[in-house]
Amino acid sequence: MRVESTVFTISWAGDQARGTRALQQERELNRFLADVERRALRIAEIAVRDRDEALDLVQDAMIRLARNYGRRNSDEWAPLFYRILQNGIRDWHRRQAVRRRVLVWFGRGQGNEDDFDAVAAAPDPNGRAPDEVLENREAMRDLEAALRVLPARQREAFMLRTFECLDVAGTAIAMGCSEGSVKTHYSRAVHALRGQLEAHGPDLVRPTE
Amino acid sequence: MNDMTDNDEKLGKRAKALFDTSVDELDGATLSRLNRSRRRAIAELGRPGTAWMRWVPAAGMATAMLVAVMMIVPDPGQQEQAVPTSVTDMEILLGDEEFEMLEELEFYSWMDLAEDNGDVT
Repeated sequence: MRVESTVFTISWAGDQARGTRALQQERELNRFLADVERRALRIAEIAVRDRDEALDLVQDAMIRLARNYGRRNSDEWAPLFYRILQNGIRDWHRRQAVRRRVLVWFGRGQGNEDDFDAVAAAPDPNGRAPDEVLENREAMRDLEAALRVLPARQREAFMLRTFECLDVAGTAIAMGCSEGSVKTHYSRAVHALRGQLEAHGPDLVRPTE
Repeated sequence: MNDMTDNDEKLGKRAKALFDTSVDELDGATLSRLNRSRRRAIAELGRPGTAWMRWVPAAGMATAMLVAVMMIVPDPGQQEQAVPTSVTDMEILLGDEEFEMLEELEFYSWMDLAEDNGDVT
């Protein structure tokens, strides 16, 4: 009887430790996702030009991260999450390309390339001066337009390094390439953006300070 | 690849500031959807690995196709017997020499019997 009681106590203690660890992991993952989700959404939205599609892609990336890598060290989550998201974005573009080909084949492929209206989709201002809000939105719209013209790999490198502040190693994991390639893509992206945005106007190139 | 100029760095900072502003301006409905997505993802954390389950439909389809193929295609043993027979038939039907042999089959049969009995010398 005493042996059974000891076994039960050890088993119960083990279950409790596992439960505590699982709860801790849940909290950590929740904190990570809460921190990253809004930026991830905007990055996906810039890439696919559709907020609903971007929301689906971010949700899918969150679920895949939790399912496949949730037990990994939390330091690894950011590059893994963005790798999943970037793969999702690439798959989305492939599916869209196939869809466009099919629609063109059926004679219904024209017209909806520019349906996305950034101004209409933009949220209401939050207490800033209207001029400043308008100026920022116009500059952001120019930036998004310039980003969309970039080759996909350059755009990925720029957004991950600049918007998400991933380091070169993390960006390399997220993009599935070497660190040297990341540096090359990033450098080319910055130079291309400078050229495009100077042509667009000085607002974005000019620093605010 | 460390040829980033001050202007490039300023561009990066300005782009980051604009991006952060656009993130801060996300509307309530979008934030609510993100929140729901996050909760769904957290619920997946405790689940066992389900990567193998994606192959279940493919495996089922492959099994069904295998069964169908086995039912449609006849047993190879039967095929081995059938093919030589039909080929022999075709050779006999198409070859001139075999026709002549068939016409004199009764004669050859008689000759065999006669040899066995010692009638032919």
